[in-house]
Amino acid sequence: MKSQITNRMATVLISVCAGLMALIMIALVGYIFYQGLGHVTWHFLTTVASTFQVGGGIKDQLWNSFYLLIVTMIFTTPLGIAGGIYLSEYAKPNRVTGFIRSCVEVLASLPSIVVGLFGMLVFVNTFHWGYSILSGAVALTIFNLPVIVRVTEDALRSVPVALKEASFGLGVGQWYTIKNVLLPAAFPGILTGIILSAGRVFGESAALLFTAGLTSPDLDFKNWSPFAFDSPLNPLRSAETLSVHIYSVNTVAIVKDAPQVAAASAAVLALFVLIFNLSARGLGAWIQKRMSGKS
Amino acid sequence: MTLNKGSLFSMSDEPAVSTQDRLRKRRQNINVLFRRDSELRGKLAIYFGAILIILATVSLTLFLVWQGLRLFLFDGVNPLHFIFSNDWNPGDSAHPTYGAFPMIFGSFAITFLSALIATPISIGTALFMSEISRKWGNKALRPVIEILVGIPSVVYGLIGLTLIIPFIAHHGGGIGYGLLPGMIVVGLMIMPTITSIAADALQSIPQELKSASYALGATRWQTIYKVIIPAALPSLLTAVVLGMARAFGEALAVQMVIGNVTDIPHSMVNPAATLTTIITLHMGNTTSGSAFNHALWSLGLILLIMSYIFILIIRYLSRRSKVL
Amino acid sequence: MIGVQEKKIIELPQRDLGKETIVQVDNLSVYYGDFQAVKQVSLPIEKNTITALIGPSGCGKSTFLRALNRMNDTIPSARSEGSIRYDGVPLLDAAIDVSALRKEMGMVFQKPNPFPKSIYENIVHGLRYHGIRKKSQLKTLVQESLEQAALWDEVSDRLDASALSLSGGQQQRLCIARTLALKPQVILFDEPTSALDPISTAKIEKLMLELKEHYTLIVVTHNMQQAARIADNTAFFYQGELVEYNATQELFNQPTEKRTAEYINGQFS
Repeated sequence: MKSQITNRMATVLISVCAGLMALIMIALVGYIFYQGLGHVTWHFLTTVASTFQVGGGIKDQLWNSFYLLIVTMIFTTPLGIAGGIYLSEYAKPNRVTGFIRSCVEVLASLPSIVVGLFGMLVFVNTFHWGYSILSGAVALTIFNLPVIVRVTEDALRSVPVALKEASFGLGVGQWYTIKNVLLPAAFPGILTGIILSAGRVFGESAALLFTAGLTSPDLDFKNWSPFAFDSPLNPLRSAETLSVHIYSVNTVAIVKDAPQVAAASAAVLALFVLIFNLSARGLGAWIQKRMSGKS
Repeated sequence: MTLNKGSLFSMSDEPAVSTQDRLRKRRQNINVLFRRDSELRGKLAIYFGAILIILATVSLTLFLVWQGLRLFLFDGVNPLHFIFSNDWNPGDSAHPTYGAFPMIFGSFAITFLSALIATPISIGTALFMSEISRKWGNKALRPVIEILVGIPSVVYGLIGLTLIIPFIAHHGGGIGYGLLPGMIVVGLMIMPTITSIAADALQSIPQELKSASYALGATRWQTIYKVIIPAALPSLLTAVVLGMARAFGEALAVQMVIGNVTDIPHSMVNPAATLTTIITLHMGNTTSGSAFNHALWSLGLILLIMSYIFILIIRYLSRRSKVL
Repeated sequence: MIGVQEKKIIELPQRDLGKETIVQVDNLSVYYGDFQAVKQVSLPIEKNTITALIGPSGCGKSTFLRALNRMNDTIPSARSEGSIRYDGVPLLDAAIDVSALRKEMGMVFQKPNPFPKSIYENIVHGLRYHGIRKKSQLKTLVQESLEQAALWDEVSDRLDASALSLSGGQQQRLCIARTLALKPQVILFDEPTSALDPISTAKIEKLMLELKEHYTLIVVTHNMQQAARIADNTAFFYQGELVEYNATQELFNQPTEKRTAEYINGQFS
């Protein structure tokens, strides 16, 4: 009965691994929230950061994170969906398609700092956009593009072929079929993927260090002209995001309450990632349910 | 084209247009681009997206390669010296030296060490999720793991800085910075990644394969060890390699805990450096065009080359898993 | 299950001789890569009749059907040789607009495949693409086609309901209505009742007999009784070849080929 004993020991060992994993993960999340949430107040969220004095907040950083996220998604979503449609619907099995697939794979596995370096070289220096929202958003677009491409391709491929045939059988053209049959059917999957990737973009830091910069001007929230240098909307101003702020507070800042600010920022960041994740799941499931037609 | 529409949709009338004319392709002119629901316009938009993907990848590769080669082409640094020398002091105005080996060593050390601690727990968890309790695995563990995949790396770095480093320092590990906290932080970070990919791979093993093994009287462990792991091996390795690729390219989380000293560390708790940490540390404050700056781009080139190598390894593994 | 129906429609439809040919197929071969799925088939299809294509699975009858409206074009490895003439027009010609062709030669599939949209949207999808956008015109065409497909009475009060909320048989009639809305000349049915229960099947068969007044129907079927019940002419396919083609009654009563006789006597399937 040696095999029985080995079996039992292995089962215990595997279960211990799983238990350990669960424990570590819960401890991590617990630690982030326990350390940080105490410091998160309305005041903290709505006060500007301070370089020298205790009591700085994260108002501008929070705004920058969201603004950058939105600009990035405006670039990425149409391009990524177009790429996904190409790979799933238009691509013929030939060399060009293989090459595009390789490109997506390369972009997906590049370290984000490499994307940041490229952004610095091309957008910041060559195009003279400087450290700016625009440079950051384009760099993040490169970083996020492969994710949306894959999500779209997978979602389109999981649409039953019968639907496509039904539309083609009516003499309907490919693009009209994609637009009116395939994309609506794939919508829940694509939406879930986009929201999940938004969480990733929201927390990204290394690609932004050399593109959006480590500082931002004191934003004037009364001036919404995109051309004013201190306008929140100006796409050509530098913008420190929340995750970059966590990094910079720990490495360059000299304020006494840096640990608290960092911990609280991390908690806010993790909270938003959690919200993105849960809403992606919830929304995807809800639309799926509504679309399956028991209305 | 409006001419024949009317007749086509009135059943009673004899079609005014011959079958030949109805079925013949119409000559397309530039106007189709401006029509609503133009097939051509849709196709062009899609192709534009595809071309942009190629453009981004190719230009990124070319620009970074060119930029990374400047140190060797214009500053006369020997590439072999760059890779194998321990002496890194590019800031010295009199005798700058460009030996990147300590950073290359640091990057590889972090990559392998973190994979070493993450792999057993991750694969174990994946086995639990697919072989021991799918219900718990899919209902409880999977969502938690997927959320953790999305936790930003700076948050992991911060945990390293505020929790792990003080702990190490307190238990006699000097000031606490070095490879040890680096590998723990990165290990924690890649654990969810490896687990979720490995669990997918294990769950896609056909049930018949397992049933056949159980039918022969094999225990669960024998089935896992003799059937499941061999069948899933290429995919499991892919999971680990993907984790390692992420570890190799991680910048800020490592930056915050490794200490950033460009020497080969004597122990796990001596400050060290990696390619990414030196780039993040100095890229912002070197003059572009200087040899120091070029040296940083060359470090970036190594990162780029390594990520291509990781892709090749993954391709090799995925070909293996298709054969099986 | 067949028993109930057999009593009702056992009488074979009278063959109307001398009808004009609407589709003329000559030496048609279809390949998937190296595999030849249809081997040099020639046959005429008569206007305003139901033609049944029967034969064991994998005999090429569905491939043949899909060659007629060039649905095989959507499969990259598929290629057709020979000639198909519809009203004298060569359909395999490169100058043919497949979109216009498929509008004129509608297709109904094996499994009901309505779009996951409302009943109304299912029907106007094709119409809109083919250039009809006026609301009033769309509404008229929706009602007309649903009436023709014998579905109007069941759904007239819930055109905005999801098509997926309909029963399988209703869904298939919706798919027929969607095709009818485009005013086709020919309708191709690819085993249209194989996924349906006997009552729904009977309804669809009744509908098809009504439709042949205005349209030409070509039906691939796995079910020989169905062919016997509704078809004017029947073609028997075996291993990609057309073995026998004749008026249904003659094909079933006096098959000239041994393989046909064996198949209809149930010696293989």
